[in-house]
Amino acid sequence: MALVGISRSSRRYDAQGLRKTHMLSTRYIHLIASVGCLVPAFANPEESYEKQVLPILEDYCFSCHGEGISKGKFSMDEFKDLTTHLSDRKHWLPVWQNVRSQIMPPSDEDQLSVAEKKKLLAWIESDVFKLDPENPDPGRVTIRRLNRNEYQNAVYDLLGVDYDTKEVFPPDDTGYGFDNIGDVLSISPLLMEKYIAAADDVVALALPEGAAAQVPRIDIEGRSFVASGDPKTTGLWLPFVKSAEVRVDQRIEWDGDYQITVEYAIKGANEATVHEALMKVTAGGALVGEESLGWDQRQTIQLTGKVPLKKGQQSFQVKLTPARQPAAGEEELNLTIQRVIVQGPLGGDQKEYSKGYKMIFVDGPAPEDPAARDRYAKKIMRSFVSRAFRKPIDGPTIDRLVDIVKEVDRQPGKEFEDGLKQAIATCLASPRFLFRVEIQPEPNNPGKIVRLDEYSIAARLSFFLWASVPDDELLSLAFNKKLRANLHQQIDRMLEDPRSQRMIRNFTGQWLQARDVESVPVSAKDILGLETNREASLRFDVRLRSDMRTETEMLFDFILRKDRPVEELISARYSFLNGRLADFYGIKGVEGEDFQPVDLTAHPERGGLLTQGTVLMVTSNPTRTSPVKRGLFVLDNLLGTPAPPAPPNVPALEEAKAKIGDELTMREKMEIHRKSPDCRGCHARMDPIGLGMENFDALGQFRTTEHGKKIDTGGELLTGEKFTDVAELKEILATKRRTDFYRCLSEKLLTFAIGRGVEYYDATTIDQLVERLNENDGKLRELIYGIVESAPFQKRRGDD
Amino acid sequence: MNTLGMLNRRGFLRGLGAAVSLPALESFRPLIAADTARALATTASGAPLRMAYLYIPNGVNVEHWRPSGTTSGYKMGKTFKSMEEHRDDFQIFTGFEQQFAAPGGDGPGDHARGVATFLTSTRARKTAGSDINLGMSVDQLAANAIGSQTRLPSLELSTDGVRKSGACDSGYSCAYQFNLSWRSENQPMTPESNPRAVFERLFGAGSSKERAESLGRRYAAKKSMLDFIAHDAKALHRRLGRTDQHKLDEYLTGVREIEKQIEKTEAMGLPADPGVPAPTDKPGSYQEHMRLMMDMMVLAFKTDSTRISTFLMAHDGSNRSFNEIGVSDGHHNISHHQGNRDNLKKIAKIDEFYMQQLSYFLGQLKNTEDVDGKSLLHNSMIVYGGCISDGDRHNHDDLPIVVAGHGGGAFKPGRHVDLGENVPMSNLYLRMLDELGVKQKRFGDSTGALRKI
Repeated sequence: MALVGISRSSRRYDAQGLRKTHMLSTRYIHLIASVGCLVPAFANPEESYEKQVLPILEDYCFSCHGEGISKGKFSMDEFKDLTTHLSDRKHWLPVWQNVRSQIMPPSDEDQLSVAEKKKLLAWIESDVFKLDPENPDPGRVTIRRLNRNEYQNAVYDLLGVDYDTKEVFPPDDTGYGFDNIGDVLSISPLLMEKYIAAADDVVALALPEGAAAQVPRIDIEGRSFVASGDPKTTGLWLPFVKSAEVRVDQRIEWDGDYQITVEYAIKGANEATVHEALMKVTAGGALVGEESLGWDQRQTIQLTGKVPLKKGQQSFQVKLTPARQPAAGEEELNLTIQRVIVQGPLGGDQKEYSKGYKMIFVDGPAPEDPAARDRYAKKIMRSFVSRAFRKPIDGPTIDRLVDIVKEVDRQPGKEFEDGLKQAIATCLASPRFLFRVEIQPEPNNPGKIVRLDEYSIAARLSFFLWASVPDDELLSLAFNKKLRANLHQQIDRMLEDPRSQRMIRNFTGQWLQARDVESVPVSAKDILGLETNREASLRFDVRLRSDMRTETEMLFDFILRKDRPVEELISARYSFLNGRLADFYGIKGVEGEDFQPVDLTAHPERGGLLTQGTVLMVTSNPTRTSPVKRGLFVLDNLLGTPAPPAPPNVPALEEAKAKIGDELTMREKMEIHRKSPDCRGCHARMDPIGLGMENFDALGQFRTTEHGKKIDTGGELLTGEKFTDVAELKEILATKRRTDFYRCLSEKLLTFAIGRGVEYYDATTIDQLVERLNENDGKLRELIYGIVESAPFQKRRGDD
Repeated sequence: MNTLGMLNRRGFLRGLGAAVSLPALESFRPLIAADTARALATTASGAPLRMAYLYIPNGVNVEHWRPSGTTSGYKMGKTFKSMEEHRDDFQIFTGFEQQFAAPGGDGPGDHARGVATFLTSTRARKTAGSDINLGMSVDQLAANAIGSQTRLPSLELSTDGVRKSGACDSGYSCAYQFNLSWRSENQPMTPESNPRAVFERLFGAGSSKERAESLGRRYAAKKSMLDFIAHDAKALHRRLGRTDQHKLDEYLTGVREIEKQIEKTEAMGLPADPGVPAPTDKPGSYQEHMRLMMDMMVLAFKTDSTRISTFLMAHDGSNRSFNEIGVSDGHHNISHHQGNRDNLKKIAKIDEFYMQQLSYFLGQLKNTEDVDGKSLLHNSMIVYGGCISDGDRHNHDDLPIVVAGHGGGAFKPGRHVDLGENVPMSNLYLRMLDELGVKQKRFGDSTGALRKI
């Protein structure tokens, strides 16, 4: 094979002169860049490459990837034909990715100046990728199956049914860090079986067997049960080891017999224990039931009993008495009362329709007249199906569903309601419910780019911001083709709606791994230096894990709703804490179960994600911190400049070969390893960040010493910024590295919003989003507007 | 392509009502083959021949694992203490490799590749999601050929009820790391992690009286639903692009599988009561969880509900801590032991712990009599092991592999087999397929069916 060797510039050996030339051209480029055109026009791509790009490559790349050297089997000056080479996307993609995220050149080699980097990237984007900022490629989102969270929300929003899909469906596979990626969500035969079964179960919950109208029902939340004289002790957490009596008064409207159902759970130990306590429940002075409580992992357990109640204020009471103690080493258990359901009077005339019934039977019970009955079936199905399938549905489909209703209705012993149940279940198993379908003309023509219809936009919006189906307002705007004209107003409305909590929970849950804090393996005993798990569980338990998650979610929520600059996620001098979490963090003056804003001016060490239990715990090993994981977390999720993954077959760095009994600080351990030249390059990126967070142990508690030695948290980012502690590190990330953070967040939220990975052709979109944040004081709401208005959200193209 | 029309749905649905009564246990057991020609997936005596794969993560303490001496007089490594009682029922192999789990230019990601490659013997395309590509796994290849003989073609199990959030191993989609069994190049067979759900899938829900009925009812009333959704899917299919159509094919396959189950229920009747209560859906400990899943495999084999199963005991890279045996460190974390004796000791403890679960499983299989009077273990081929040898080196040769069971008499257990060279795992798989009567010239990187077994 004849290879064309590109003649090498002699400037390479003339470093001084070179720097001068470059400074000149740098300024030139900078000027041009500021007026919006990054690459000066040249007669042809070859010329532009040789004049603009080749010198940069020669200076920074060829010592490893040129002139006969091809480190990592990658050479940049061996090709057959220059013109083909310059449009070889496969070749330039890794160059673009690695330069962009500062993986190349390696940190111990000379680095490109900001202008040079900009020039090289802009050239690749325009000349190789041929990106057109005016008309960006929207990409293509593979048809998305509802994930188990979306399914759960959708059946709740459509039928008012609480259906815990985590208990029923297998976990969804994830890609690009999220569980709503169309390409990755598949349907195995097992899942299909479960969908068929779930459809029936959901409908049975929505429209319970028997009479449509049910006896009246009152739900009392567990947290309203309070111990008299001790407002801190509530039904939410009653330790088995302590006798306690909690009560609540509830007004009863009618005399009669009532069915009382206590829904509760046993918490505190992940592994079985012999710990026991006795629970006694009374209502209006009468015994509802008694139960000996022991280790039980069920999410909800029920105790049911019948009691007579009189009209008026009645007292509901739960009494807990200690019984068998846990065995040595076992954790202690606690009772959590979730809610108490009061149904009655039983057998009386007072009836009310269930929520699901009211949502379906919009005009009440079915008429007797067959023709009217058919019309009613049609009306119900049309209304339900258009909401479930997120668009108006054709007549034949409705007719087929009505046929199902009639077929069942005709069967002996079956009712109209049974028929509707069957038809609704059928809809819930249909691909039009389970998949988010977007139809486009010429679906296999990659050149065909179309704007999505407004129903698709409505669905994209609702699944993005509510993780569920669109509501009537969105659908009706889409019907009138008014949705596109009212995007901001609708986004604002949707963010006001409590359903937007789901977006916050899902996005922070995955982007910041806040989901994992509730289950990440941790050995509090080892971290706290205690003898037994029982002692440890008195200082750290599942409530704190969930508090940590709440703290992270509330910070994001606050910044979004109050239009605070989004970099406050990192630099906030406030947080949201309850008494327990504040205590655990060593912050005084916060009391009670409820979360409240806390000013952290007096606690410069706290505030922002880097100091929250969530991030600190999910980046730790079960018994100790991991500066590498913490550094990597910041690079991956906040700065968007991931370190290149460790080379294969090199063991993880931080397991020191320290002799047993030799207690080194984490920094000392890490430094032993950083001596290796193979590792230094990348670890110079990650370790300083992670070591900067060493004042927090693996549970997120603040500390200043380790093994009796003072912890040194000083360090320097690869980009040169120096810090002495986490407070300064936060400040640097939120100011000097703010644009990196904006870019990273934009990429993550775009991925989450559209359900596919960010590709090279999204570079223009991402640039625009970052600019928008820069121009709008970092308002998260502006980023959401920007994403919804962007080409990838508004359009799609055919398959390639 | 005709995905649905081939089946005469109405025909078997009509017959279903008659089949709902409980058959005696024997009536759904396979008949002892009278023919001289061996049927698919049966032993020489005509009993069903089963195949199972159990995966352990993060490599092992090689020193404690390795047996000394070969053939039958060999001495087991310390890890195998709990396996002495089964000495005559399994063989240890030294020398297997999975070459496609090695980086081969794809860089890091050995844990994701480990799980992905273990049963597919192919290279996973490195992607975070957009273009997942792998090969069909050996269990699914077998299920395609013999699955029609049992109510479920195969049974996929795991203990991971949640996925880690955020990115998975070094740029690989989490799908690779959490799925052993692959139905096609990009469709994983999602494993079930809830023991009770497995039980109900096999035998129905509710009290022992209600179970068979609930299973029958589950699909009997489904004719109109299946008709409707298949119609919907096909109408939709025509209007979509290639990739979207592929996703819808998965859906249609799922519908067709349910129809097949209905068909089989008509042909084979409903499963008998297994004689045990449904297990809990929240096991008290990791050990209990694994053992319940193993119990489910034993029940499924005993009732011939399936002959093929895979069990991902934990995904590779799992950082689980083992408080129940006094190891509170994360497994993945200490598997990078760097020669540290303390770490190695803990790894050995974890290895022993996993091995005790295998020992329990083999015990259950051995104590269950099969239709031909032999034990289930005799009529099974059980592969236990992982796709990483030493967790510190991440090497994918010299894999820790045990093959238990007698393959219906075809295998010679009770030995340590040192292959003496690197032999692809796929050679073992090819041999197992042979035993099932599934004729296959090659599988993955195979160089010929394994003879030394």
